[in-house]
Amino acid sequence: MRRATRAGGAPQRYSAASLFRHGLTHEDWERVWRTVEMRRSYDAVVIGAGVHGLATAYYLASNHGMGNVAVVDKGYVGGGGSGRNTAIIRSNYLTPEGVRFYDRSTRLYENLSATLNFNVMFARRGHLTLAHTDASVRTMRWRAEVNKLEGVESEVIGPDEVKELVPFMDTSTKTRYPILGALYHPPGGIIRHDAVNWGYARAADSLGVEIHQGTEVTGISTDRGRVTGVTTSRGAISAPVVVNCTAGWASLVATMAGVRLPIITHPLQAAVTEPVKMFLHAVVVSGSLHVYVSQTDRGELVFGASTDPYASYSMRGSLEFTEELATHVLELMPSISKMRVLRQWAGLCDITPDFSPIMGVTPVDGFLVDVGWGTYGFKAGPAAGEAMAELVATGKTPESIAAFDLARFEEARLVGERGAAAVGH
Amino acid sequence: MSTAKRLLSGRPTKMRITSRPGEVIDRSKPVRFTWNGREKSAFEGDTIISALAASGERVFSRSFKYHRPRGILTATFHDPGCSVQVGDEPNVRGSHRLVTAGMKVTAQNVWPSLKLDVASANRAAGRFIGAGFYYKTFIKPERLWPTYEKVLQRFAPGGRVSADSPHGSYDKRYAHPDVVVAGGGPAGMAAALGAAEAGARVMLVEEEHSLGGHLRYGSETELAALAELRREVEASGAIEVLVNSAVTGRYDGNWIAILQRNLPHVTERLVKARAKVVVAAPGLIERPYVFEGNDLPGVMLSTAARRLLNLWAVAPGTRAVVLSANEEGDATAADLSDAGVHVAQVVDARRGEQVVRARGAGSLSEVELGDGSKVSCDLLVTAVGWTAPTLLLNVAGDRPVYDERAARFVPGDGLPANVLATGGIVGDGPTAALVEHGRATGRAAAERALARDGTSVTIPSLSPAPHPALYRSRTHGIVDFSEDISSKDLVSAAREGYDSVELLKRYTTATMGPAQGKLETINTVAVLAEATGRSIAETGTTVWRPPHVPVSLGALAGRVLEPVRYSPMQPWHEAHRATPIVAGQWIRPEHYGDPAREVRTVREHVGLIDVTPLGKLDLRGPDVPKLLNFLYVNKWLKLDIGSVRYGLMCGEDGVVLDDGVTGHLGEDHYLMSTTSSGADAVAHWIENWLQTTFPDWQVYMTPMTTAYASINVAGPKSRELMSRVVSDVDLSPEAFAYMQVRRGTICSVPGCVMWRIGFTGELSYELHVPAGYGLYVWESLLAAGEDLSAGVFGLEAQRIMRLEKGHLIVSQDTDGLTQGYGVGLDGLIKLDKEDFAGKQELEWQLERQGYNHLVALLPDDASVVPPEASQIVTGDRSIVGRVTSSRLSPSLGRSICLALVAPQLAETGKSVTVHLPDGTDVRAKVSEELAQFDPGGERLRA
Ligand SMILES: Cc1cc2nc3c(=O)[nH]c(=O)nc-3n(C[C@H](O)[C@H](O)[C@H](O)COP(=O)(O)OP(=O)(O)OC[C@H]3O[C@@H](n4cnc5c(N)ncnc54)[C@H](O)[C@@H]3O)c2cc1C
Repeated sequence: MRRATRAGGAPQRYSAASLFRHGLTHEDWERVWRTVEMRRSYDAVVIGAGVHGLATAYYLASNHGMGNVAVVDKGYVGGGGSGRNTAIIRSNYLTPEGVRFYDRSTRLYENLSATLNFNVMFARRGHLTLAHTDASVRTMRWRAEVNKLEGVESEVIGPDEVKELVPFMDTSTKTRYPILGALYHPPGGIIRHDAVNWGYARAADSLGVEIHQGTEVTGISTDRGRVTGVTTSRGAISAPVVVNCTAGWASLVATMAGVRLPIITHPLQAAVTEPVKMFLHAVVVSGSLHVYVSQTDRGELVFGASTDPYASYSMRGSLEFTEELATHVLELMPSISKMRVLRQWAGLCDITPDFSPIMGVTPVDGFLVDVGWGTYGFKAGPAAGEAMAELVATGKTPESIAAFDLARFEEARLVGERGAAAVGH
Repeated sequence: MSTAKRLLSGRPTKMRITSRPGEVIDRSKPVRFTWNGREKSAFEGDTIISALAASGERVFSRSFKYHRPRGILTATFHDPGCSVQVGDEPNVRGSHRLVTAGMKVTAQNVWPSLKLDVASANRAAGRFIGAGFYYKTFIKPERLWPTYEKVLQRFAPGGRVSADSPHGSYDKRYAHPDVVVAGGGPAGMAAALGAAEAGARVMLVEEEHSLGGHLRYGSETELAALAELRREVEASGAIEVLVNSAVTGRYDGNWIAILQRNLPHVTERLVKARAKVVVAAPGLIERPYVFEGNDLPGVMLSTAARRLLNLWAVAPGTRAVVLSANEEGDATAADLSDAGVHVAQVVDARRGEQVVRARGAGSLSEVELGDGSKVSCDLLVTAVGWTAPTLLLNVAGDRPVYDERAARFVPGDGLPANVLATGGIVGDGPTAALVEHGRATGRAAAERALARDGTSVTIPSLSPAPHPALYRSRTHGIVDFSEDISSKDLVSAAREGYDSVELLKRYTTATMGPAQGKLETINTVAVLAEATGRSIAETGTTVWRPPHVPVSLGALAGRVLEPVRYSPMQPWHEAHRATPIVAGQWIRPEHYGDPAREVRTVREHVGLIDVTPLGKLDLRGPDVPKLLNFLYVNKWLKLDIGSVRYGLMCGEDGVVLDDGVTGHLGEDHYLMSTTSSGADAVAHWIENWLQTTFPDWQVYMTPMTTAYASINVAGPKSRELMSRVVSDVDLSPEAFAYMQVRRGTICSVPGCVMWRIGFTGELSYELHVPAGYGLYVWESLLAAGEDLSAGVFGLEAQRIMRLEKGHLIVSQDTDGLTQGYGVGLDGLIKLDKEDFAGKQELEWQLERQGYNHLVALLPDDASVVPPEASQIVTGDRSIVGRVTSSRLSPSLGRSICLALVAPQLAETGKSVTVHLPDGTDVRAKVSEELAQFDPGGERLRA
């Protein structure tokens, strides 16, 4: 059965050959991650088993040999935003800092299946951000220019090229919001979010990291300005480093350590349709119409929009959301009116004033944050995890995340990504 | 003749049996349609699947992964194997959709055909491609994943959409009933009656094509009871019945969404009902049993068999085995015999008898029982228990709890006062008991809806009957029919560590298909409980989520009603071939053919531009000056009546928010103008401050943007033109100077506002006239100016002229980080004011320095117009600014730009590198002034 001694040892490999062997023998697969007793102390505790917490733990173990780490989550692996997002991966942001950072993450995603030995199904379908006004054409061009200077593939294309990429799109001038062009970002695409979460969890576990689901952090203990551990629904843990990776709940958790974050949590909704045969290859975003859409390999259309306008911790879907969504989707692709919405859901987004994340140290020594991921943080998981792990292990803030520190809000060094992050995710 | 022979004779409707008492088909009305191109016959009242089953078809689709043949399972809307393509409509529920003449029905998910299915090779490979197999393979080499992906996409389930399908006709309706009853079975009908009798207006919603629920396919006594209930419902004047309509969800405030499908000429209508009370009466869903071969065509639920027999007079098979754990199973066996189907064996689960596996090539031919015996048959009916569809209760906050004795999840006790439940989801009983419970619940609903005290209503008790817990036999079988997930997949995934309901369903995709768990959840939970050694209660279930049935995008969108804003002068613009431009909510003229000529008209003569989209807010009250002083960065406490002032607004983060002029029209009366795109945001901004921070200030704000038509009259001859149409205002430069406002009569239209300002840099008057007179004033001005060479100009000419003057456009020449200092308006910001929005941040900005500056750039090559958004770079290609505005200036005969640049570049004469989108670099110099044309502003003060 369970091989608890596996920690540190090589995990069972996944491959066509192992799948074949398993098919013949019907032996149980090894457990993806262990269920072990929680210990009283670790070298580091990561709060939140979303992509950020799991990636941080994984890179701590893999890049820095720090396996004595616990990831605790009040729910299950990937139960937060990381299992609820619409899984768009792209790096065509607006600020040079942003572009560089997300580009690093996209590159890590490119090799992630092999790194984790878990197929995360990254499909680089191409990403189109439609422009319906000359103001947005200007912003698209701005983004394209910054992207190109940073070495990221990105260009402004016209309505005819849009039509070629998305034959279902109404690119006529008769619509209410005619399509004037689009920012085309060929490396952008979609990924299987759960696979990323599970893949990181499994790989981290195999390197000794412990994952404790159903373990809620209820307090963070400090002593003379230093973090000393956390209290949880399953007992206290001491640790010299505590990393807050709780996204929508981040400001609540930070408050436990006495740290105030400039974050407001808003719900963000999404929906999927019943499957139909593949007809939409690219990921399509329209900022003016507040909607984006992609088609999964299973044939479902996945829709998203902008965040709900009010702050809330509720994760219920609303009827208005699907009504508006449908109106806007049909504005873009009028011929799919017969497709049906199958399911809708919501997740929580931790929104910062400049639509950029907060990563790094806080006024409490040893209490680190990797939060403020708003509507766009899934794609950032690998790069953020890698950088946070480096910070934990070396005590030094890596250059790649220096611009995203908490102190920027007091020192007015904001990283303005509103123009590229709002609906685009 | 044997039953089988009798049944099989008489093609083409070989399984159609003689008349049944409750049948819903009209045998006098035959209907023809096609199935995969072949002609088929049916009767009115047939569903697609009942008609096909009557003609002897047994396979309607292939399963998603293993491409196993699939037949009828439930014979209801949720039948997983019966989705078909109808014309250009994908995923039509064939067991629900009624056949119509000429309908073109094709099978989905069959490649290359229903009979010959190449993909069924997957079946042989089945042992290797268990749930989640794709996570474990196709890992390397990664560059091949797109190829694998294409193969997987081939197997995607579902029908087809086509790019030339018309949008279709959809509609919405708002309703305000006292009580909505969701579900038109006996309890729901009785609830509607009870509520109506107590004085409520009721909306009774039934998913099927007629009222009655399970009574429709029940015994003669049940049919008689139904007839009586129907009579009563029809006789009641207070019940609106919606059939073929589904309550898809309940949202906050009892906001009930109903998908109505029974209307002529409208494909679907979304009814949104604000119900005072909702009564959930959705009945029970029969659940499938898990055993080897349980998905073979010929294996179906007892309710499916009874529906086929009694509603559509179709024999579900010729020789049957019935697995029965309840009365429904027994009744099915009786109905089958009665209809002439040979019942080979009744397997009584209550006595411990079992079905172990079903076999057959393509469809059922043999059943193996618990004692090892084998019975040959082409129909296996299972009656092993029920699921309570608790969606409406769950979304109201109630959590289902597992009732061990009844072997099903039942409602908890967490319902709010405006949601009640009756019928099968509450408990079991004979028709009379259900009706009695329903009626009392309906009465209670009415009492609550009409805000009476309701104490007089006692609701009789109704509780779930004991039932054996039957989920899985000794063998493994399909749990999720749409997703093709077997109990073996689930056990294996649970052992692998995906051992909570949430993880298991995400990993295997069980319950994620079209039925969204209605048939699958309970068995998933039961198998997981078994695999982990926990009880079902400990394992827990997932909550039901809306929508109850998938809702078309068309119905959600309704009619296409995207509003457009046009100014009152639009007919003139159209008549004069204006090129339109979409500007937010507005569509307005970009130009009338030649922007450069339009510029010359203004610079040399006089031009009119339609600026109606400019935001206009009427502000009244003694505290308006305080408000203005707070909103703008400059000082506003002293502004004489008759004067206007330019102001810049910043957000609390010091970022430039909007700009415009505000005029003091009279005692306690101001008119504020905002940018066109910022009109709504500024109105919200003001409202927000007044309501949250300054509730004691006396200010009344009224958005007037569309109440006025706005015209800017600009050019050296504008005073002359104005003097011809304005009678009651002294227009002399001394009496009506630059930055002043007057109210008066224009072209005999009284109540107009005119102010002297100049975005174009020319002497100009901005006129705000009552919208209804806009077109008249516009045409009159043009007529009056004919001999002055008066013309019109569009947005483009205005943009050129303002660029020549170096006037910024907020959000084009500023961005989400541009704070107040550095945009050429430093002198405006008065940090010595007591407080104003953004003050703190602006103080910090000044202290900190280092911010970008807005400068005018002149390309060294005057003929090069760098596209807007071109980046300004250093030698090592780092970005140090960008061109925000750029045009060829007709007045100067050269290119001019505005740019936001890093502070070290913001020096007159500094030479910078502009990187163009085509990859080339050009040089440009920072100009001394933002304005390139008439920097002293003499023309506009003329
Ligand atoms: C509908 C939707 C669509 C989105 N689309 C995209 C997209 O297309 N692309 C993209 O890049 N991003 C997208 N996002 C954003 C993205 O999902 C998030 O930014 C990202 O998943 C955040 O990951 P995380 O690991 O930081 O947090 P999460 O995945 O939210 O994990 C936080 C975890 O913390 C746990 N937790 C909270 N409080 C406590 C506590 N006190 N104790 C213990 N555990 C606790 C939670 O249970 C949760 O599991 C979307 C988000 C939503 C909601």
